[in-house]
Amino acid sequence: MKTFKDLLMVSLTGLFARKVRTLLLLLGPMIGVAAIIAAVGLTDSAKGDLKAKVNKLGTNLIEVSASSAFGGQDPTLPEDVLDRARSVVTVKSVAKVHELANIVVTPYNEARDKYEAVPIPVLASDVLLPSVLEVKLISGRWLNEFDEQATSRSAVIGIGLARQFNYLPGETRTIELGNIRYGVVGVLSEVELEPAFDNAVFITFSAAKADFVDADKILANKIYVRSQVGAEKDTSEALKIAINLGGPDEVATDIKSEALQLAAQSDQQIKLIVVSMGILASIVGGVGIANVMSISVIQRSAEIGIRRALGHTRSIIASQFLLESLFIGLLGGICGVLLGIVSIFLGATIAGWVFVLAPWLPPAGILLAMVISVIAGLYPSVRAAKLEPLETLRLG
Amino acid sequence: MLHEPETDADVSEQQLANEPYVEPLLELKEVSRVYGSGDAKVYALRDVSLRIMPGDFVSIVGPSGSGKSTMLGLLGCLDIPTSGTIIVGGKTVTGLDDADRTEVRGRTIGFVFQQFHLIPHLDATGNVETALLYRGLSKAERRRRAIESLDKVGLGHRHEHRPVQMSGGEQQRVALARALVTEPKILLADEPTGALDSQNAENVMELLTNLQSSERAVVLVTHAAEVADAAFRKVSMRDGRIVSDMTRVR
Repeated sequence: MKTFKDLLMVSLTGLFARKVRTLLLLLGPMIGVAAIIAAVGLTDSAKGDLKAKVNKLGTNLIEVSASSAFGGQDPTLPEDVLDRARSVVTVKSVAKVHELANIVVTPYNEARDKYEAVPIPVLASDVLLPSVLEVKLISGRWLNEFDEQATSRSAVIGIGLARQFNYLPGETRTIELGNIRYGVVGVLSEVELEPAFDNAVFITFSAAKADFVDADKILANKIYVRSQVGAEKDTSEALKIAINLGGPDEVATDIKSEALQLAAQSDQQIKLIVVSMGILASIVGGVGIANVMSISVIQRSAEIGIRRALGHTRSIIASQFLLESLFIGLLGGICGVLLGIVSIFLGATIAGWVFVLAPWLPPAGILLAMVISVIAGLYPSVRAAKLEPLETLRLG
Repeated sequence: MLHEPETDADVSEQQLANEPYVEPLLELKEVSRVYGSGDAKVYALRDVSLRIMPGDFVSIVGPSGSGKSTMLGLLGCLDIPTSGTIIVGGKTVTGLDDADRTEVRGRTIGFVFQQFHLIPHLDATGNVETALLYRGLSKAERRRRAIESLDKVGLGHRHEHRPVQMSGGEQQRVALARALVTEPKILLADEPTGALDSQNAENVMELLTNLQSSERAVVLVTHAAEVADAAFRKVSMRDGRIVSDMTRVR
């Protein structure tokens, strides 16, 4: 331990005694590491706002819809679809909807001519939908159990539709769904993972059946599922089987954030190219270290000779030089990381991006600089250790 | 005063003198050092035997090419002989590996060189401390001993000066302090005054002369007659052999 302490002192003294040389040696690993950190950080930061959005919205929303494999009309999900979905253990919450076809939606009856050509989706929805989508209401309230049981003609509209119909928040208004007047009880906030909902009208299943469906029952043709984070793929596969089992219709699943996640991914090719250049710069820096240290060994041969004469062993001499290069790597790595972070910060600020720095990046950068420096220092260290004191001391 | 009494007569003489046996500090036994091989073979030393006893103050003299530098390298465990045996402090060093030889060197031998060989980026204390590194001593203890050693050679006021800030004589005295700080049994000096003016040379020689004690041996390698004359014992060399080994009558 004391020997190591002595070595540490000797190496640091050697480095600080030749400040300019040490600074020049630092440049190599420093520039290399800074290039890598800046490359990764900037490509990440360029997509930083999208990444933040993915984090906010969550990656675990899955849409399950009935699809007809043989071209049949109006495919539906089984009646007990919610129970089937909940039987998948990774499912956290679930809500069902039924998209109603061909209903003309107008703000008031007289405007029918104007709005007839504009398709506005009308959905029968259960009371849990906003909580599964994790969306709030801008004003009013969502459909509740009372609406469902009383078959009340209550409707919630999307934010886009509210703007289109000049609906003022909190205003008492009605809406015409195929000539049937519904009372607007609330406005749903923006649904980023399902933009179609912004222009949709939501009513209860019971009202939908009473007013728009001739059949005995109204079955869901779509459900929304929140799964455990990280289990989206497995859950989506399990849901297909759990829901489809024994039913006539096909089931399709869609992980809603997948497209967004893809868009938020950094450009891997550019990243790879710039990181390779950074690694190349580090290696060139390493070659520089090997070069300068080899010359330094020759310049310091008298010092090495006298140290050997004073009783320092070959391994001590080798360790001394190896420690010097390790410190160069450590210092160069730290400076490089700092420089890289400053570059990301400046770049992101100028371009208006969100600053993103992966937490593994700084330690990895410093480690890389140290590994390269030590490898570069191996040859000079061995040379230093092999010097014969008799040859370097020039005896009279 | 022989290591192994060879005859009964010798033993009785020793007993009569009532003196303890003394082991040689350093012994060369039929040592040869050959450079090159085949036709290019050069004998730098040929079958040389020499004993350095405690209290010796020896000068090794000879013209250049006589083998005195080779002799110094071997005496200082900096080199290994082609044949023959070297014994330092009762321990045979020929056959030891480099690390063990280095250990023996660091423990028993102090060096002073013509070119001083101080480490330029260290101050006087730092240079002297270098000899005490890797010996399990604390920084404070190293420093205390280094300063003590510098005071002994009369450099009490120069602790924090770097080699470039000192005169040649001062630098050689720092080198001397560095050689002495480990309290070596043998002090090897290679042309210690070769790079100094006469006044400084005189001072250094005076220091060297005072360093000789009953415990320690001082070995000077030089081609300067007046330096050699300061020693009690003079070993003359020529063509790789010892041609004379004379001791002054005290």
